[in-house]
Amino acid sequence: MNGLWRRRLWRALLSVGALAVLYGIASEIGSALLPRRIWMVAHYLEDVELLPPYRSLLEETVFLIQSGILPRSVLVSTARVFEGLALGAAVGVPLGLSMARAARLECLLDPWVTFFRFTPALALLPLYALWFGLGELSKILLIATAVAVVTLLGAYQGVRDVPRVYLEAAKSLGASKGLILRKIVWPAALPQIFSSLRIALGLAWVTVVVAELIKATMPSLGYLLALAGAYPRVPTIAVGIVTIGLLVLACDAVALGCYAVATRWMKRSPAHA
Amino acid sequence: MPDPRRRRLEIRDVTHVYEGKTATRALDGVSLDVFENEFLAIVGPVGSGKTTLVRIVAGFLTPSSGVVLWDGAPVAGPSPERGYVFQEEAIFPWMTVRDNLQFGLLAQGVPASEREKIVAELVTLIGLEGYERAYPKELSGGMSKMVEVARVLATDPAILLLDEPFGLLDAQTRSKMQDQLSRLWEEKRKTVILVTHDIEEAIYLADRVVVFTPRPGRVQAEVVVDLPRPRSLETRFSPAFLELKRSIWKEIGRA
Amino acid sequence: MRPAEAARPPKARRVWLGLASVVALVAAYTLLSNAYRVVDPSLLPDPIRGVLRPQILPPTQRIFDAFVQLVGAGASPVGGAYVHTGDHIGGLVEQRVTLQGSLLISTYRVLIGIAVGGSLGVLAGLLMGWSRAVDEYAHPIYILFRSIPPLALITYVMLWLGHGTAHVLLPIIYAVFTVVVIPTYHGVRDVADIYVKAARALGAGGRLLLSRVVLPAAGPFVLSGLRYALIIAWMTTVGVEMLMADEGIGYLLIGGGMWSSRLEVAGDPAVIVVGIVALALVGYAMDAGVRVAGARLTEWVKR
Repeated sequence: MNGLWRRRLWRALLSVGALAVLYGIASEIGSALLPRRIWMVAHYLEDVELLPPYRSLLEETVFLIQSGILPRSVLVSTARVFEGLALGAAVGVPLGLSMARAARLECLLDPWVTFFRFTPALALLPLYALWFGLGELSKILLIATAVAVVTLLGAYQGVRDVPRVYLEAAKSLGASKGLILRKIVWPAALPQIFSSLRIALGLAWVTVVVAELIKATMPSLGYLLALAGAYPRVPTIAVGIVTIGLLVLACDAVALGCYAVATRWMKRSPAHA
Repeated sequence: MPDPRRRRLEIRDVTHVYEGKTATRALDGVSLDVFENEFLAIVGPVGSGKTTLVRIVAGFLTPSSGVVLWDGAPVAGPSPERGYVFQEEAIFPWMTVRDNLQFGLLAQGVPASEREKIVAELVTLIGLEGYERAYPKELSGGMSKMVEVARVLATDPAILLLDEPFGLLDAQTRSKMQDQLSRLWEEKRKTVILVTHDIEEAIYLADRVVVFTPRPGRVQAEVVVDLPRPRSLETRFSPAFLELKRSIWKEIGRA
Repeated sequence: MRPAEAARPPKARRVWLGLASVVALVAAYTLLSNAYRVVDPSLLPDPIRGVLRPQILPPTQRIFDAFVQLVGAGASPVGGAYVHTGDHIGGLVEQRVTLQGSLLISTYRVLIGIAVGGSLGVLAGLLMGWSRAVDEYAHPIYILFRSIPPLALITYVMLWLGHGTAHVLLPIIYAVFTVVVIPTYHGVRDVADIYVKAARALGAGGRLLLSRVVLPAAGPFVLSGLRYALIIAWMTTVGVEMLMADEGIGYLLIGGGMWSSRLEVAGDPAVIVVGIVALALVGYAMDAGVRVAGARLTEWVKR
């Protein structure tokens, strides 16, 4: 088992390392061969580094960090993601739970849930901008909407998939409705709620980037990208993209960790051998 | 056994039909009495409605017609008075052994100190000392089934309904579980209904065996098991045991 | 194990209740959105005064009007009924942007995304699920790329591909690709595995193994991945179109404008509502299509 993981790690490092080296070579060749003037719609863009070499990426990173732009952007965007996540889950999870437990409520809400499920959350942006202004509120509400739909479906499905035998066992042991909800339904549905939260977190990042690209004030990661794209400054774009990627990766790892802790009672199928 | 004992459960002319695209008649006019501290086994082929019958007794199902009286009052819904052990794995996998065992007590508002005492007794009874804080995934199939039985015993029910409790276990574990259950019953003396398709299991454990017909389920025969207790491995090879087995197989053959 | 079967009302009653809930809410909205005609909004307390305006809550009949105008926009003469181009719907009509035309373009983009990104994703998932070596080398790279939101790439992609068709499609293809890989991978690795061993023991190999064992066994997983991919593809398409395309439903929603100035023109809520409802309906229809086709293809699955 240990050797297996060591080989996996080794191979992972090897392939990621190879990719990094390949990019280094490509960017050196690229800075010599690729055009630096690019025709864009109505005018030429000057001095574009399509494949910025590592040294300009490094310079740019140092500049963005020292000037405080990058740290502040990261904080602002991350805060939005988690505010939206908290708000959306606070609405979606209880609603999903109640829909799964109350048949009439389910019938009444079903068409609306279906409606929101197939409405791309991003499409609501212009409406929210109109209703809540172009500031903070509409962005957070947009993320919350995307999160609420996903977590509602996760909680609903989680409850519906609770094996009937657990509910009957609890009932025959004399458990009240409240106790069944707290000690049976909730823990049994929790794994699915956590998986839906993990998906929702990824979706929240997609949503925040677009919301910030369309209309935002500095500092924020989306606006950093939009501004860098308008000049255009590729090293800034690259640093922005890599930063977002790393943040998403970190968030996903945290979500996965939470999932593992919350489901440590579950039987795991033996690893792929 | 002609019974001077107290009659606790009366099943009167119970019929059950599962509604659906094609209605299925599972039980057809079943009448049965179960007496105080009696161990009754119901045997029959798969689909003979025996599970349906105990589910009705437990209160999970309402019969299409007929009544079930518990101490003279009709059964309405499940109650901890009638403990139920399921065929499926019903141990709560997100609770430790200890939390599983005390769940019924928690539901009835038994104070914590009392709960601890009962849990400790039960753990000793089923021989799971040291596993109190383990999650069910760490237990073998037989062990977790025993926890389920003990979980039901925790609240001291008046009757134990066992629905093919060892159906999913391998033959060796099953026979061990039967020994353990037999010992448990000697100690606690409860009224029990055991549903099984394993005829040897029925004879080994019960005082009386009821044979069901294939669907729709009807009582085809009743066989009194007068084997001496406590029963042991020797019981399984005694001539009386084999004679009972032969007579039950004959009843099934006539169905 | 049997899942919980709470007492569910019969189907007819479910449909009836659902319909009643839709009708009730639409009726309530109609009343509310027309309240400004009856009550003088300036007399109302502040937050309500702000909300009860047709510019915020368009009356139901205005939404319907917008729908009719947007469907007929292609037919109306340029500079006809709407000379003032400042507003949302006027601008759209002037550019002859129709609802059905926009939907068609977006649907086409979604389908290209599914076709190209889906095939690449299934291929990658198959390879990674099939060969442990490929899995161990490629999976880390896949996870790195998956972490980048497709729409974050758009400014960079545009520099390479210019402002045209390709740069709109690339993020959609990319999004679908990343979504489809994992279900395929799990289908092949975790589900097909045992059947592959059985088929190998029976002497099957090569193409027979792939076409008759691996693909069917992983099929249900690929299909559920595709259903999710459809939702992601629509999300990405709308996002790209809102950001920089010059046509499509996302463009209709946002009413044009260039790049960073987009959304500075106040939108017309009636147009936006029409666009959103159309999106939901098309999304639902496409999902239903995949579901029905999928059920046909995987008839053997126990349900």
